[in-house]
Amino acid sequence: MSAATQQPKAPAGPEGDRRGGSLLRSELLRFTTRRFIQVLLGLAVLGWLGAIGIGLASFDHPTEADYAVAQETFEQAREDDEQWREECAAQAEEAGQAVDDFCGPPMTVEDFLQVQPFDLASNATPGTMGFAAAASVLAFLVGATWIGAEWSNRSIVALLFWVPNRLTVMGAKVVVLALAAAVIGAAAQAAWLLMAWILDSAAGSGRELPDGFWDELLAAQGRAVVLTVLIALLGFGLANLTRNTGAALGVAFVYFAILESALRGFVGLSADRWSLLVNAVALVLPGGTRIYDYSTDFATEPPSYLVTNLHGGLVVGLYVAVVVGIGTWLFARRDLH
Amino acid sequence: MPAVEMVGVSKTYRRRGGQPFRALDDLHMTVQSGGVHGLLGPNGSGKTTSIRVLLGLVRPDAGAGQMRLLDRPVPAELGGVIADVGALVETPLFSPGLSGRMNLRLLAEAAGVSRARIEECLDLVDLRDRAGDRFKGYSLGMKQRLGIAAALLKAPRLLILDEPSNGLDPAGIKDVRELVRRLGHDGRTTVLVSSHLLGEVQQMCDSVTILARGRQVASGPVAQVLSRAGTGDVRVGVPDPAAAAAVLAAAGYSVSPAPDGQVLVHGSPAPGAITRVLAEHGHYVEELVRVTPDLESAFLAITGAQA
Repeated sequence: MSAATQQPKAPAGPEGDRRGGSLLRSELLRFTTRRFIQVLLGLAVLGWLGAIGIGLASFDHPTEADYAVAQETFEQAREDDEQWREECAAQAEEAGQAVDDFCGPPMTVEDFLQVQPFDLASNATPGTMGFAAAASVLAFLVGATWIGAEWSNRSIVALLFWVPNRLTVMGAKVVVLALAAAVIGAAAQAAWLLMAWILDSAAGSGRELPDGFWDELLAAQGRAVVLTVLIALLGFGLANLTRNTGAALGVAFVYFAILESALRGFVGLSADRWSLLVNAVALVLPGGTRIYDYSTDFATEPPSYLVTNLHGGLVVGLYVAVVVGIGTWLFARRDLH
Repeated sequence: MPAVEMVGVSKTYRRRGGQPFRALDDLHMTVQSGGVHGLLGPNGSGKTTSIRVLLGLVRPDAGAGQMRLLDRPVPAELGGVIADVGALVETPLFSPGLSGRMNLRLLAEAAGVSRARIEECLDLVDLRDRAGDRFKGYSLGMKQRLGIAAALLKAPRLLILDEPSNGLDPAGIKDVRELVRRLGHDGRTTVLVSSHLLGEVQQMCDSVTILARGRQVASGPVAQVLSRAGTGDVRVGVPDPAAAAAVLAAAGYSVSPAPDGQVLVHGSPAPGAITRVLAEHGHYVEELVRVTPDLESAFLAITGAQA
């Protein structure tokens, strides 16, 4: 530290050497420089490129030969299907329902095609759900590591020497994460649209899109972005409570792998109404999701209830608010070492 | 105006499954503005806890309304005064994957400190050449120096350094000592430095507060604290110590041999009287020094007496 032995420059006064400070700007800079987050986002991009490759390899326009093979298989299966359909039609009549509703539509040659073209109309919603799930998992990891690393190296404590208001510090971190998660969610949905366009251009079915297709799709994608933000905050909240990224991932694993199933076993299907997974799906899926109670007689329509988009959003939001709220309250009150 | 004031501050840590630990016990401490003030005490005496309480990291059980930093009540107005307070508490806390410079920049952005000031502080701690390296690759001493640079970024009016010499080599310790002394005497900055290195405090500080078991046991200018703990003995250098000792003993003084073979006169005697008695008996004084204990002796005497 030889330089320190020389006379240091007179430190500038606080007013003379300072411009307007911004905790939010500082936290945005911290977020973008976090190496693990950069690695996660890089892996996500690689995964997306891989998914496009798989899609391009999976979808194609069927040739005459493909149709011939499918026709042959169809003919072999037709006799069995007609027999089953007759029995099913009798059951449908007993149940007082339409045959196609009860037994499903009749088989066609297209059902036996080994090579299928990409059909945007039928794949749009599953793709949105898939990308929403992937973005949510990514956002959970980002949210957990964003605060978990801060606790691990305790740089959050160092920040309090500069901004002593703990709620302000936590608020800035939450805002930065919410913004980042919204960008991740929107980018994921844009990536899905781009992927769908590539697949449609390369091997599209050419089928006309139904009325209201884009309205429904874009609304679902908007809700997917909301889900991504909520799940990022959930990861943040869990890591903030446990003060450890790994512990947050462990809690999430135990919840999804064990607790939800256990609750369903003990409480019954009404647990689904409050299940995080069911409500997350219901938030994004157009029209929400209907839960059926298959424990009743199969001969009649099983009882069901609808978990709407709003219900799904409120339940997931409530869980997030509780987890983030408790963590923030503890952070504001605890002694920090 | 006191730069730091704590009146009747107490803090007890409740440990899960263990006995509660009283870290601060009705602590009173005043640090006057300007100069370098040492905070001295054995491990567990409450040095770091008192700093944490002042900086709002730890909530005291009592005395929360009786603390002031730069004449403003804390923690109530900590947000208003923190821009003038720089701190390094125990180990420096930085993101390991980021460079030293980027770590400072993240803090500087939050407070609006210019990039030029970052480079200035890196220069002050001689880290500019390595500022682009990742923090996790730094040696303990380099980490400590970066922590000091972070504390200096705000050009604070009050600089709080908790064990700043930790991990530094002898040259680094000397540099920190000189830096702290310079800052403490720049007419603007007050430095509060805690250390377990007694010699360091003695060389670096103008005043000192000694803590034991969470209480203040001595406070004031270093020289005053030392003299308080002193015995008042006078060491007398003469050509014939044995004969001189006999003369002084006959004159009613309490004497004993000094470690260097000379004569130690106990009981705060007047040096002039000793000189006269010896001269009357043909012993001419070559050296006469009032024995001043070093801080280590004083510290042990004071904290031992409190134990």
